[in-house]
Amino acid sequence: MAKKLKGEQFYLSANDLISGDVVYLAKNKWSRNFNDAIKIKRIDIERYEKIAVEDENKCLIVGPIFIELTEEGKIRRLRDKIRKNGLTININQ
Amino acid sequence: MIILNKDKPQKNEYIFWDESEKITSINKKKVILTKGLWIQKGQLLKKNKIISGIQLNSDESLDEITDDILYFSLVQFNFLSFKDGRPFSIAKTLRKKFNFKKEIRASGHILPDQYIFLIRCGFDTVEIEDKDFDVWVRFFKMDEGLYYQ
Amino acid sequence: MYKYSEKDKKILKKRTSEFKYQVERRLNGDLTEDEFKPLRLMNGLYLQLHAYMLRVAIPYGELSYLQLKKLAEISKKFDRGYGHFTTRQNIQFNWPKLTDVPKILEELASVEMHAIQTSGNCIRNISCDHLAGINNEEVEDPRPWCEIIRQWSTFHPEFSFLPRKFKIAVTASKKDRAAIEVHDIGLRLVKKNSRIGFEVYVGGGQGRSPFIAKKIKDFLDKKDLLNYLEAILSVYNELGRRDNIYKARIKILVNELGEEKIRSMIEDKYKNFVDKKLELSENKVKEIYNFFKLPIKHSKNSIIPKVDNVEFKQWVKQNVINHKIKGYSVVMVSLKPLGKPPGDMNAIQMNKLSQLSHDYSFGEIRVTHEQNILLPHVENKRIYDLWLKLKKIGLSTPNIGLISDIICCPGMDYCALATARSIPISQKISHSFNNYSQQKNIGDLKIKISGCINACGHHHVGNIGILGLDKNGEESYQITLGGSATENASIGEIVGPSFPESELMGALNTILKTYKKNRISEDEDFLKVFNRIGINEFKKDLYDNPQ
Repeated sequence: MAKKLKGEQFYLSANDLISGDVVYLAKNKWSRNFNDAIKIKRIDIERYEKIAVEDENKCLIVGPIFIELTEEGKIRRLRDKIRKNGLTININQ
Repeated sequence: MIILNKDKPQKNEYIFWDESEKITSINKKKVILTKGLWIQKGQLLKKNKIISGIQLNSDESLDEITDDILYFSLVQFNFLSFKDGRPFSIAKTLRKKFNFKKEIRASGHILPDQYIFLIRCGFDTVEIEDKDFDVWVRFFKMDEGLYYQ
Repeated sequence: MYKYSEKDKKILKKRTSEFKYQVERRLNGDLTEDEFKPLRLMNGLYLQLHAYMLRVAIPYGELSYLQLKKLAEISKKFDRGYGHFTTRQNIQFNWPKLTDVPKILEELASVEMHAIQTSGNCIRNISCDHLAGINNEEVEDPRPWCEIIRQWSTFHPEFSFLPRKFKIAVTASKKDRAAIEVHDIGLRLVKKNSRIGFEVYVGGGQGRSPFIAKKIKDFLDKKDLLNYLEAILSVYNELGRRDNIYKARIKILVNELGEEKIRSMIEDKYKNFVDKKLELSENKVKEIYNFFKLPIKHSKNSIIPKVDNVEFKQWVKQNVINHKIKGYSVVMVSLKPLGKPPGDMNAIQMNKLSQLSHDYSFGEIRVTHEQNILLPHVENKRIYDLWLKLKKIGLSTPNIGLISDIICCPGMDYCALATARSIPISQKISHSFNNYSQQKNIGDLKIKISGCINACGHHHVGNIGILGLDKNGEESYQITLGGSATENASIGEIVGPSFPESELMGALNTILKTYKKNRISEDEDFLKVFNRIGINEFKKDLYDNPQ
């Protein structure tokens, strides 16, 4: 999970097991609200990886991933931006 | 561990032999041994007429033991992962090509959701943990014998 | 159309309750995610970028109006009011909740539908020529064979945990509309010495290492079809690689062993393992055939109304195909309207189209592997009426086979595997070529776009293929030229270094200019020109003398 991660700080994200909604690790809980997400330093990654695995086993979440942040603390990768902001296309249904 | 045959536990008559006991002391017993060990000691076991089952990991083929297949009283496929479906085909090969009529057993990482598939591919028994007995039996009973093949 | 027997219904009901039980066990922790994943995948349930995604099977692309109506209902009740038709003739919903899926499966079962075989390392939903049974060229209707294979492959005890997914496509025409040569197994019904049997192709596929399938049997007796398929699958199950997911498809095995070796191994298994039970008696085949009789009783002297309406004329020219019965036509409904994601349809459209199918096409609908829909049997004189109604719901785009009729995967907007977006690219192209005569002037041209190397958007076999890559965090697009998924299947050649998104449209325009200046006549389509002049002309204009 933490292999080949770039940068020094991260968010921990996953999908809610039941609804599939995107969630972020906040203080002591998983939150649908991105603003609640806590920043994780590289040295703490292993500790948070454990939390992610435990919570997946506890049937709270599924598919945990670390979100790479830039030095300015912004989301680095496009896919993670799309994950946060939603579709970039107008489905106009 | 329980050896499950259909929905009933079956007495396990075999011990797993890894050479920690001398051949002379397993004389009266039925043993299961790995393919690797069989390749080394198989002829000796045959000479001593020791009733032998072989354990093949799910990534092992029948190569090198084809001449001995009809000697085995049991073939046990040890699933390294339930996703490794090779034993389903190899069991069929045993039944069809080698006309192997004795027990085929599954062990290792295998799910109750796969139970009916195992039975239908020629497996007789499966080695499961005691606590999983009810779920396995439930899957056995859910089967109504309705298949396309 | 096929109708479920009591047995089919019972099998489906059992699977639905089994999945409900699997979800329960996941939610109470009896199954780990690692264990649950292959089980949910076997019911078509993925986890994507934003949410779960449920892929529902449309076996060989055939739908009834009641089924389409049910899909509309499900999309409204459990999803966000739309669905996406895929290149395997299935439909997927992008936003279901895990706990709703057992309910969705129950709803689907009520109209003889399911999500079995739409995912996982099993034999997937069988795909077929979308003009099966309604065109004049085929030796016989391939759909009954698809149904026979569907039944045999459903919950096959031996082949549910294969090294990787396994796709089978069937056609009965020389003209290949089912892309059989880029499937794990492709079957073509052929006539030889007045007998009908199968040509068998093995080992085609796209993805990271694309291959055109090898023909491993010239003629297989129809009755032996299932035994032969079992032999192929058994060889693959035992020997297919499991150590590397990218090398696990049968195409790699075929390529590593070589054509001769794989053929002899299959033949060997086939001879040793013949199971009398799997032999197809004439009665069994006939029984299945009877489900697929045409609903049209007689030919008619019915002609397409001559209406003085340019749009209608264009649409007829582009989207209406002759039916094998005189007086009827096949109406292609393009799911590539301007600016919409290719293959998407909303619940209102599904509902209305269901009604139109009931009123105009004997209640039958088909999905094509090019992500369009068709109404298979429309009487000619009613075609103008139908067009007016399709137009009202935004389903009358006259672009079948043209540059804006793009195959496109969901890309990074939805997909967890994608390396770049693909839908926005298709939208740019369709905006840029939104005028019919402009498209017509370019002629037949298949653009196919994938958002990653897994090639769900079939870019390898696009006349122009576009592959989205991630280059140091920026979206970048590699172009291949000359691919084709038809009877002369070929893998496209990479034209050169990839283009950043901002330069992609310029590159596409350059490619079209090269094509136009080299074509001998307006009838010479892109692929013909490419095959005649080769890739270098395109390279030169793209990279050496950029305009």
